[in-house]
Amino acid sequence: MIEGFLSSWTLFHNTYLAGWLIGLLLSLIGVLVVARDQIFIGAAISQASTLGIALAMAMGAWAATDTLSWMHSDRFLTILAVAFSLLAALMTSGAGKAGGESHEAITGWVFLASASLSILIVSYSPHGLEEIHRLLASSIIGATGSDVWTFGMLAALSALLLVAAHSRILLFAIDPAMAGAVGMHVRRWTAAVSVWLGLAVGLSIRSSGMLYTFGCLVLPALIAKNVCREVRPMFLVAPVVAVGTGAVGFVLANHYDFPPAQMTVALLSLLLTAAWLVPRIRRGAR
Amino acid sequence: MEQNDVVLKATGLALAYGRRIVLEDVNLEVRSGQFCFCLGPNGSGKTTLIRAILGALWPRAGQLWLHPNHARRERIGFVPQRCDINPTLPTTVREFVLLGLVGIRADSQDRVERLNWALDKVGLARLEHKDYWSLSGGQRQRALVARALVRRPSMLILDEPTNGLDLSAEDAFLRSLATLNHEEAVTVLFVTHDIAIAARYATHLVLFHSGSVESGSREKMLNRAALERVYGVLVDASCDPSGAVTIRVCPPGGDP
Repeated sequence: MIEGFLSSWTLFHNTYLAGWLIGLLLSLIGVLVVARDQIFIGAAISQASTLGIALAMAMGAWAATDTLSWMHSDRFLTILAVAFSLLAALMTSGAGKAGGESHEAITGWVFLASASLSILIVSYSPHGLEEIHRLLASSIIGATGSDVWTFGMLAALSALLLVAAHSRILLFAIDPAMAGAVGMHVRRWTAAVSVWLGLAVGLSIRSSGMLYTFGCLVLPALIAKNVCREVRPMFLVAPVVAVGTGAVGFVLANHYDFPPAQMTVALLSLLLTAAWLVPRIRRGAR
Repeated sequence: MEQNDVVLKATGLALAYGRRIVLEDVNLEVRSGQFCFCLGPNGSGKTTLIRAILGALWPRAGQLWLHPNHARRERIGFVPQRCDINPTLPTTVREFVLLGLVGIRADSQDRVERLNWALDKVGLARLEHKDYWSLSGGQRQRALVARALVRRPSMLILDEPTNGLDLSAEDAFLRSLATLNHEEAVTVLFVTHDIAIAARYATHLVLFHSGSVESGSREKMLNRAALERVYGVLVDASCDPSGAVTIRVCPPGGDP
């Protein structure tokens, strides 16, 4: 099994590396999402990013090839994917003020509007629906060397930020009200985390699709939440779970000829089911 | 007391949210070592003043002066009304209390010393590694105080911290605060609705009503006329030397 995986390395190394680095990056940010109990926001941002891609494809189909050739480029798809996920992240983070609409309502609206519009926009595009279905189902096959560099840089930057400001990030994640009381600018932090989340999700959706992105964002953090006794180690356990499960998932997918993204998310879901037992066992042991 | 004992001074202070002015022309002085209670009905501006002291709200007019020790808020401990943390999140008493150190430079030994001191002061020393969610309501409230104390504050601000506590938990909580105030000379600013606990523990009172503030010693402020101005009903409050408190509220049209 391992030999078969190693022999596929030459052909698929960019896919494997990009997949693991996406898992590493998203699982780090996912701890913040899970800690703040905003899991559905991850789904809404992923869906909004898909809307950005659908819009870019529709604009590409509408634009003349000779004068607006940049609209046909892969970069344009990525820019709109990231722009829409950033917008969704900022919208959902700004909601929830007294007298206004709740977080859940805004998040639900973003998810439903994005899901419906992304299908409607590409309905008459030649390969639009096919592409949207591919994005929703997830495929990480075809990642490039530049994807590996991009996600490697983002993951390293995220890890550095977490090390440099771990106490502040921890307090912001656990108790934003207290963070404000000790002089942290909670609004600026919320905006910064939203930009970070939107950027990571937007780029990841373009490379790996919605299922893998959303799966890597929330499942490793949820597993870590159940096996850890404190929040701080969750920032270590979640990436280890994401990358470790990604490695096993890719080997199994290669051996049994399954799609790697779905295999990894299925394994993470199984692990979460097992992790739910940990707190019960711990309580029983007391 | 000397002038350099003053830790907080408001002069002609006005505080507002947008166009809505909450407090106007506030003149107030809090001195080191006072156990100062802020009393007043809902919406009278108690929490607003706390927000200004914590630096979360800028004065609309006037001045809010803090002693240089407090200017960077490192030596101010804050205990919020309630703690809105995600109840499914795993955390221990130790991790929870150490969160209070954000913004303070402390090496690992200093962190441990501060943690042990704070837990000891609130009577949670043996629960350091316990799951925060397994604590009782009273113990969680004391963990909140420990989180404020870990900063080794010279001023402790508490925003209605006894809400939801039963009588024995409230009593234990207030006794630990009184001990801190006496033994560590921590200045305490305590926001509450409860006249009885103010009558028992306060050295000074700040009364909030209709956007203005009156302050003074407990003996000066805890009288029928001042409490009537604040609450709009006749109230008699007294505390005898043994610490027993009597609160009598006049029925409408009657005399207390």
